[in-house]
Amino acid sequence: MFRAVFRLSASGARSLTRSRPCYSAPLASRCYSHGKVETDEEFDSRWVTYFSKPDLDAWELRKGMNTLIGYDLVPEPKILDSALRACRRLNDLASAIRILEAVKDKAGPHKDIYPYLIQELKPTLTELGISTPEELGIDKL
Amino acid sequence: MSLPKPMMRGLLAKRLRFHLPIAFTLALTAAIAFKYTVTEPKKQAYADFYKQYDAVKEFNAMREAGIFESVQPTGK
Repeated sequence: MFRAVFRLSASGARSLTRSRPCYSAPLASRCYSHGKVETDEEFDSRWVTYFSKPDLDAWELRKGMNTLIGYDLVPEPKILDSALRACRRLNDLASAIRILEAVKDKAGPHKDIYPYLIQELKPTLTELGISTPEELGIDKL
Repeated sequence: MSLPKPMMRGLLAKRLRFHLPIAFTLALTAAIAFKYTVTEPKKQAYADFYKQYDAVKEFNAMREAGIFESVQPTGK
């Protein structure tokens, strides 16, 4: 009886992961059987708009960042640009640098993501006068 | 030198898709291995012991050893 269960569950688990299309779909979409799946571009522009609100308050900035970090993705440079400008409007340099630390952590073992992000954000960082954690020496313990 | 855009979405999903079946298989294998190397031999050892167990003979041996209060060794 156990042998049958073993055979069933091993192949069952594998076929389960293969037959579920939502595994590779954009993380922010739930696996609805009804309803439209949001595209990556729609997701990105939704978040850029969120942080672009002129009177965004500090709570909304923190809430937005925390929600964004909860997703299974590293935010696009344009979303981070919008968030960093929101930090500038709120005179919050600490949060700006923290955002950079957070996305570096989100990348996990994929060490090519963070350098790419810094490369893309360099003009914004220079314009807003934001130092990276590496420049400040706070990236090492 | 400008860096190319890396893959930034679905990284956890990709990792889980690979590691989760392995994890479940290993866990299941560990359970099955434990069953057949530990629990089955133990059950067999008990079964073998009690197959030829004579309760009366054991009782009399204990009785002669004088450990009971309700019944004395046959000598006394």
